[in-house]
Amino acid sequence: MADKGPHQNYLGMWGWVWGGNYKLERYLYLLHRITGLGLLLFGLFHLTVTTIFRVQGEAIWSSTISFLDNPLFRVGEFLVVAAFSYHALNGLRLIIQELGFALGKPVPPIYPFTDAIRRKRAWTLVTLAAIMVLAVAFFIDFTVRGWG
Amino acid sequence: MNNDAVKKITFRVQRFDPEKDRKPHFQEFTVPVKRGTTVMEGLLYIKENLDSSLAFRTSCRMGVCGSCGMLINEYPHLACHTQVEEFHSDKLTLKPLPNMAIIKDLVPKLDTLFEHHKSVKPYIIREDKEEMEKPTAGYLQKPQQLDEYLQFTYCIKCGLCIAACPTSASDKAFLGPQALGQAYRYCADSRDEGQDFRYAIVEKDHAVWNCHFAAACSEACPKGVDPALGIQLLRKGVAAKALGIKKTAAPATLATPPALAKPKIDVPEFTVEPK
Amino acid sequence: MKNTYLQISQMITGALVAVLLAIHITVQQWFVVLGLLGIKVADPTTWGSMMERAHQGSWVGIYIALLAFGLFHALNGFRNILLEINLSALAIRILTGFIIAFGVIFLILGTYAPIALFSSYR
Repeated sequence: MADKGPHQNYLGMWGWVWGGNYKLERYLYLLHRITGLGLLLFGLFHLTVTTIFRVQGEAIWSSTISFLDNPLFRVGEFLVVAAFSYHALNGLRLIIQELGFALGKPVPPIYPFTDAIRRKRAWTLVTLAAIMVLAVAFFIDFTVRGWG
Repeated sequence: MNNDAVKKITFRVQRFDPEKDRKPHFQEFTVPVKRGTTVMEGLLYIKENLDSSLAFRTSCRMGVCGSCGMLINEYPHLACHTQVEEFHSDKLTLKPLPNMAIIKDLVPKLDTLFEHHKSVKPYIIREDKEEMEKPTAGYLQKPQQLDEYLQFTYCIKCGLCIAACPTSASDKAFLGPQALGQAYRYCADSRDEGQDFRYAIVEKDHAVWNCHFAAACSEACPKGVDPALGIQLLRKGVAAKALGIKKTAAPATLATPPALAKPKIDVPEFTVEPK
Repeated sequence: MKNTYLQISQMITGALVAVLLAIHITVQQWFVVLGLLGIKVADPTTWGSMMERAHQGSWVGIYIALLAFGLFHALNGFRNILLEINLSALAIRILTGFIIAFGVIFLILGTYAPIALFSSYR
């Protein structure tokens, strides 16, 4: 009898995206990771534009800027500032809470159980509200200046 | 639901037999349930009446032993203290806990969990080896000092937190919320002097710094242990130590045995030599 | 202690980048909102406006600091993600080498531009 042994049941990278019916914080984690990777990609693109094209003088710079001034890049630019607002403010919350601050003390587990991050969810909600306000402000700014 | 009313519920159970199957598949069973029927009772009904080859772990049937962790409708639960009624649905999907291997059907392989748990030295470490081997008295501890770690002592090693953790999903070497929470439990114990050993272990790759505080572990924990809080507090200690700003209190002292009271019976000698 | 120092640096650079990038984005993207608040700035993407900032020492400082902290934070964060996908120790070492080389190249490239523009100021 050929025993093929246990079946590996790791969710893998898909488990970052979805693991079960969890609440808000697990998806904030996912968004933090996605916005981080997005900002990294944009940062490399942005660095290339602002170094290689910028040092070549006014003509090349102006043509690059006018090339980038179209709806596609404007929407992309808005996504970048929205991602930055999220990654920065959620990141500041994480720095504070990952070092054990603003979480309160351990409590005896008495039913119904609660956990620290959800007892202090007000902090998370305030952060999310600030992110929303920033995103709306940027949206207004982009709309006033036109989308390309 | 009337106490005696019986309702038919479909249990959609993930099956996997390592000797026959290449990959898991689902099988459906119809189970009669009434008010208060737990998922575990439903599984026992299937085993007794419908298919005796169904494999799942069960022992205490009261949320203490941590054997029956499984995904019920895509969320980790202990089958024994989850009632069918909770889901307000005629169909339950049962799968083994993810982020570990499946031995058979709903039986996950918990070996990695126990190895990781052992690796963080989950016991009191004292510098006085003699006292550890042959204790003469207990250690003094204030109720406030007990409160520092009491919550984390309720861990039953069921593995639900590991099933919930996104880092454990992709990183097999990650110590996981269970072991890291227990590392904090012993570091926070005023009787313990093993903090430096544990800090050296949790500071490595695939450990305390790979937690990103998704806090799904604390959400899923059936015993209210809050491993995510333990991990963040552990991190606070590790970071403070690295920066040289960690305050360490003197470890708990031995309680003086009462002079007048005598034990009623002598403590028996070991009849079997400890290995 | 290596991981702890790396992660503490990750947190510190994260906070610094948040502040510096907030300054950068406010100037670049928020001039309508700033205008509503009574602060009038020219379109920051024009050559003249850009050169004006390129010739101020404080802006050059902000750009270079943002570049250095941002590169560290982004590439170290990327490496942290790579550490979580079951790569072998050898693969991690090779990728770490690539990431460091990549960071150094972009640091040199990114520092060269503001310094070259600054020194062209007469």
